[in-house]
Amino acid sequence: MVRVMVVDDHPIWREGVARDLTERDIEIVATAPDGAAAVRIARAVRPDVVLMDLQLPELSGAEATAAIREALPDTRVLVLSASTEHGHVLEAVRAGASGYLVKSAGMEELVDAIDRTARGQAVFSPGLAGLVLGEYRRLESEGPDEPRLTPRETEVLRLVAKGLTARAIATRLTLSHRTVENHVQNSLRKLQLTNRVELTRYAIERGLDADE
Amino acid sequence: MITADASPRARTHPHLVPLWRGLVVYRVVALVAAVVNIVRFDDEWARPVLGIVVVAAMAVWTAISSRRYLRSGDPATAVADLLLTALATASTLLVDTPDRLAAGGPVITTVWSAGPVLALAIAFGWRGGLSGALVTLAVLFGVRRALDADLLFDAQLLLVAGLAVGLAADTMRRSVEQLRAAAAREAATAERERLARDIHDGVLQVLALVRRRGDELARHGVDAPAVELARLAGEQEVALRRLITSAPVPASDGTVDLSSRLAGLLPTHASLAVPAHAVPLPATVVDELAAVLREAVTNAAEHAPDAGLWVLVEADDDAVTVSVRDDGPGIPDGRLEQAAAEGHLGVAGSMRGRVRDLGGTLSLHTGPGEGTEWEIVVPRKEA
Repeated sequence: MVRVMVVDDHPIWREGVARDLTERDIEIVATAPDGAAAVRIARAVRPDVVLMDLQLPELSGAEATAAIREALPDTRVLVLSASTEHGHVLEAVRAGASGYLVKSAGMEELVDAIDRTARGQAVFSPGLAGLVLGEYRRLESEGPDEPRLTPRETEVLRLVAKGLTARAIATRLTLSHRTVENHVQNSLRKLQLTNRVELTRYAIERGLDADE
Repeated sequence: MITADASPRARTHPHLVPLWRGLVVYRVVALVAAVVNIVRFDDEWARPVLGIVVVAAMAVWTAISSRRYLRSGDPATAVADLLLTALATASTLLVDTPDRLAAGGPVITTVWSAGPVLALAIAFGWRGGLSGALVTLAVLFGVRRALDADLLFDAQLLLVAGLAVGLAADTMRRSVEQLRAAAAREAATAERERLARDIHDGVLQVLALVRRRGDELARHGVDAPAVELARLAGEQEVALRRLITSAPVPASDGTVDLSSRLAGLLPTHASLAVPAHAVPLPATVVDELAAVLREAVTNAAEHAPDAGLWVLVEADDDAVTVSVRDDGPGIPDGRLEQAAAEGHLGVAGSMRGRVRDLGGTLSLHTGPGEGTEWEIVVPRKEA
């Protein structure tokens, strides 16, 4: 059974999601109302998946994500936010979140996303694909040392952003389903490598180092 | 000549008050000069008593007009001032002999006659100052009947004063308007951010939860109306989220963020993928792209009402790409060509025309069962 922790500062939402997931045979091992508590509790309970809101008191969702990923490399973070701030979503993904779902997503979608996240896959919505594409375009104009997408990765991300499923993309590009997943995964990983170190250092400076 | 431009805007500029105050001080000092001029040299005037009456009238008018200038900066008073001053200056012809005037004797209004020039300059800007100076000079010339060095000297002073004060008033007016617009923009942005925060913390969370509950009800086989309500709540969550992220306030350089603009156009079930950073484009380009997208969306709604709709915005330094895709039945082969042959401009023709006007390209990927996919690429001229 997948062990999940729910982080959200909105109590009605937090308890509501926890209850719904419990009904679906997902084990809720903890909940947390702010970023700092999330990092502390995650270290103690070691969940498989953290459902992370973005606009949190104490430590933002992105900062908490960086700290959790640093302390617990096997714990994956799935951003679940009504956040309207594209920048925050991108920040969380660069901090190590492996996917992003808006809170208006249906329950089936959420359960499926949690399963996939627990298995180590990326949860890529069209919106997130657009943000990641945009981020690479921005990095491209920053200089030659920044990470790049391969033409194939760009092609795959564009199709994700246009709403094609992994299966449809595989058919259209005559690739295997697995290869499509890998392209998506790699596009995220390259962004995260450049950013993880910075954010972790920031979280440590704010008194959340691993020895606490 | 001047009254045509008499707008109430002069009243609404309290920051011009320092200029009006300066004018009032000038008028009082100039009045003292006029009084000295008539009292001290009363034996040299042909009709000194009439002169004293005129100067007394000037004093009364100075009091009345000063009060009005200070209270409201009234442009009508400035025009009346010009006419009455011209009359007072012209009365020199009765007070003094033409010979003495031709020989260079002073007019009875002396430097007081420059007052209306300044008043018009403050009320109407440089055009007011220039007009006032010309009228005043015409009257002076009519009284003196000599185009001598004195008159040229007066002309220089009046024109310089009228233009300089007029330009100063124009500048003050403009800068205050800019300040006010900037302050309004800032206030609008701050207010929207505050609203967005509140909506995000409260309403959006609850709407999403209602939608979630509806899903659960449906799963447990509960009746349709409650599920329908929950679905509607979910739609409103999306609509509200789009509303608080869209930025209708144009930047100060006249550009508009393309992503925010397009977000406002899409139906709630549509997905919009955009970069995290803004995509600023000239407002006219954004208008045209919005019109093209609207056509694509309308077309999709007509031919594939139940299909999904996805929009992707990409931007680099050279170009902006907007892709629109639906997973409806697609446009059958030859349909567009057939429409064109029958003389229908059709949606494709209209979209293509708009995109061509922007110097861009429009491509279409479709076929039976493949959905419809438009791709609009527009070059990004240095904005």
